[in-house]
Amino acid sequence: MSDLRITEAFLYMDYLCFRALCCKGPPPARPEYDLVCIGLTGSGKTSLLSKLCSESPENVVSTTGFSIKAVPFQNAILNVKELGGADNIRKYWSRYYQGSQGVIFVLDSASSEDDLETARNELHSALQHPQLCTLPFLILANHQDKPAARSVQEIKKYFELEPLARGKRWILQPCSLDDMDALKDSFSQLINLLEEKDHEALRM
Amino acid sequence: MLIQVCLYFYCKFLWRCLKFVMRKLTGRCELQRICYNTKPGASRTMKIETSLRDSKSKLLQTSVSVHPDAIEKTIEDIMELKKINPDINPQLGISLQACLLQIVGYRNLIADVEKLRREPYDSDNPQHEEMLLKLWKFLKPNTPLESRISKQWCEIGFQGDDPKTDFRGMGLLGLYNLQYFAERDATAAQQVLSDSLHPKCRDITKEEISKFSKAEWEKKRMDKAIGYSFAIVGINITDLAYNLLISGALKTHFYNIAPEAPTLSHFQQTFCYLMHEFHKFWIEEDPMDIMEFNRVREKFRKRIIKQLQNPDMALCPHFAASEGLINM
Repeated sequence: MSDLRITEAFLYMDYLCFRALCCKGPPPARPEYDLVCIGLTGSGKTSLLSKLCSESPENVVSTTGFSIKAVPFQNAILNVKELGGADNIRKYWSRYYQGSQGVIFVLDSASSEDDLETARNELHSALQHPQLCTLPFLILANHQDKPAARSVQEIKKYFELEPLARGKRWILQPCSLDDMDALKDSFSQLINLLEEKDHEALRM
Repeated sequence: MLIQVCLYFYCKFLWRCLKFVMRKLTGRCELQRICYNTKPGASRTMKIETSLRDSKSKLLQTSVSVHPDAIEKTIEDIMELKKINPDINPQLGISLQACLLQIVGYRNLIADVEKLRREPYDSDNPQHEEMLLKLWKFLKPNTPLESRISKQWCEIGFQGDDPKTDFRGMGLLGLYNLQYFAERDATAAQQVLSDSLHPKCRDITKEEISKFSKAEWEKKRMDKAIGYSFAIVGINITDLAYNLLISGALKTHFYNIAPEAPTLSHFQQTFCYLMHEFHKFWIEEDPMDIMEFNRVREKFRKRIIKQLQNPDMALCPHFAASEGLINM
């Protein structure tokens, strides 16, 4: 047993004792939301989620199948089901839409015309899918740090977001792995949308 | 909680007192006691490594990271420090040298593997390109590649027209391992590739025949495909092997199979073994489709780690270490 693990266990027990002594009780539970994260292969889904969980995105390999990550934020925990984006896996996406409360769509702003068109088609299918059409969408225009990256206006126009996504709640955010603050901001906005939806459901 | 407090104090203070007492009782230092009491192989080498690393002597602490050429001198210095007479204990020096060679070799292997991993695949580098094309030739000797960027790459399990994007986090290490597997273990590699492409034949029951038309039944058969992508799975297994190496879990395996310092080819042989085993495991698990990959991979990883916890374990015994080492 290594020294480090014992010291960590020690510290955690100290923390719990301290809370108990100060009559604070256990730390308050944050609301949890189930999200699904989709996008073409190479758009940066795994890297972004890893970075949000304070893990290094350096060793990330292509996601085959799907993986679930619990991404912690100050006021909520997002349980994100991240689906691989390869051609042979995209046909299985709709299987995982059930039970989602929100969608994160990641695209590579610097990809080729063909890939961008494929991304557009996938986004449109998702926006119109019966299980996703009422949910809030967070669309991340990733890889903004690359020279070939298209701007947010171009993306908004190309993806026809204004006409197609009218009446739905969506956020379009330019981002890159270097700028985590902007990314966290957009997630806060998404959490607000999710909370609103929750309150609506309660009132009904 | 009490147990943890006791363990904490034991780790910090008591074990040194215990070592002192044992030295006085047996007349031998800890290194000698380990070599006498433990048979050569992973058990001995790992105990020696812990002993050296946790020692209060600077010489012993730094001995785990010396250059391989300086090992002989380091062992002589250690024997002098511990006042061990090499004439009375001729085998001790040799045993310690063997252990230290493995320990230092493992560390250097980590550094070499990390260097390969950090090197991204570069399509402008002719050596990288040559290796990629060789990979195609080994896996598909009868099919010429139409062009460097082509949908044909999907036939060997890459995700798009250009394999370079698939090497991501594993860099050149992924390509090296795939190429080693395809070249040195060609029959196995081609078998795995062929299995991964063909759909599984599902036996159909009489009720199902009446329910579905022939066309629908054909489609169902195709859907129930083993269908995983050879290259992508290979890169994932490289990731698995890399993590096992870095975390030290592979020490059991390498210290048991390599009587001298573990090298990159030992690592690549281990990769081939893991590819084989994973393929068998995948078929045993009989998953619905590729979407279960991460679940199956995690289960496989836990199984390997459990196997490696046995100190006598060698995953793929190409040659047994204990024959080369001298028993004390």
